[in-house]
Amino acid sequence: MTDEDDQVPAPPDDDHRGRGGGGAAGRRGSGGASPWFGGDLLAELFANPLEPGYAAAARRRARHPESPGQRRLGVGLRVVSLALIGFLLITAYRQAVAAQPEAGRAKAKLVEDVQERRTETDGLQDRADRLRDDVARARDEALAGSGGLDRRLKDLETVTGLGKVQGDGAEVTLADGPPPVDPVTGKPAATNPGRVMDRDLQDIANALWSAGAEAVAVNGRRLSATSTIRAAGGSILVDFRPVSAPYAVTAIGPGDLDRRFADSATGKRFRRYADQYRMQFTVKRQTGLTLPAATEPRLRYARTVPSATPTPSTSPSGGGR
Amino acid sequence: MIAVLALVAGVVLGVVLEPTVPLGLQPYLPIAVIAALDAVFGGVRARLDKIFDDKQFVVSFVSNVLIAGLIVYLGDKLGVGGQLSTGVVVVLGVRIFSNVAAIRRHLFRA
Repeated sequence: MTDEDDQVPAPPDDDHRGRGGGGAAGRRGSGGASPWFGGDLLAELFANPLEPGYAAAARRRARHPESPGQRRLGVGLRVVSLALIGFLLITAYRQAVAAQPEAGRAKAKLVEDVQERRTETDGLQDRADRLRDDVARARDEALAGSGGLDRRLKDLETVTGLGKVQGDGAEVTLADGPPPVDPVTGKPAATNPGRVMDRDLQDIANALWSAGAEAVAVNGRRLSATSTIRAAGGSILVDFRPVSAPYAVTAIGPGDLDRRFADSATGKRFRRYADQYRMQFTVKRQTGLTLPAATEPRLRYARTVPSATPTPSTSPSGGGR
Repeated sequence: MIAVLALVAGVVLGVVLEPTVPLGLQPYLPIAVIAALDAVFGGVRARLDKIFDDKQFVVSFVSNVLIAGLIVYLGDKLGVGGQLSTGVVVVLGVRIFSNVAAIRRHLFRA
């Protein structure tokens, strides 16, 4: 104990350094200049990470070369332990993957499902659009030369949103403002008054209609008389399909539609919002707009007319049960 | 070459056998992996320094894994398992880093 007592405090005088340093360096087999153990453990760790045993083994081998039997045994051991390491790595990897929370995996699966279904509906929608085009073409052919009937039908389709329309008009773009920052904590506030709500899009669409628009679409989804703009959770749904910011409400109408809208009460209100909540809001005149047809409304009461010949109907009405 | 093959064979074996880790050993698995990586990188560095030794490698692998596991086990019993695990990871991480740095100097001379 007394012997230790005069060594442990390790005053940095040359005598102790010399003795301790020499001993440590000798034991570790590192090259000489290793200082006394005390405060330099980390430096030592950084400077000399290699197992000193490797150097010692190399020196030993230089003195007594290995026999072939020893070599073979060594290689065998090396192979076994490396295989063990590979096994360990893959086991740990599998373990980590398995430890991923059950909820997270379920959610990923759900997201996958949703995406799958969405592409499926998109494909079906495409097909419906194509078929509708076919029907429209066939009808046009049938009505050709019926004197004004096809024109009237076209006009009706434009008004009800069932036909594709082209023309000049206005585009209103709207995007969320940044959430206000709490001046004390510096964190964004939980509620953001500059957030675009379903009500806002409804108001803009209605204001555009009343400013004389003939066709209105939100983010490329045409509105018809029975369209809905609703909120579900945090997102806005137009005809039950989600739309995301920035929202672009395009409308075809008279040449001064943009001015008329901007001068309307709704337009003024949104300009005030833009000033106050830094919501992004612009009204622009647009030329050459093309708005797609709205999704076909479900037929609620109408049924297909039973054909004169009593053949079993293969296509029940779309809105039927 | 033979080393890489052995490593791959181990991985394949693990994939094929699909071992389940007993619940009691699960906390030691990450530590064992770090310790094994330390041994591997130490071996690679020694190889590049041309002083690789099979016995040394095997001993360092086994003892690394055992000692790391033992430290964590001891820490668990003493109620400082998390801190000791962190300590083990830091020390082995530093060693891995500087070994990889040495390997990099060997391979790229930079």
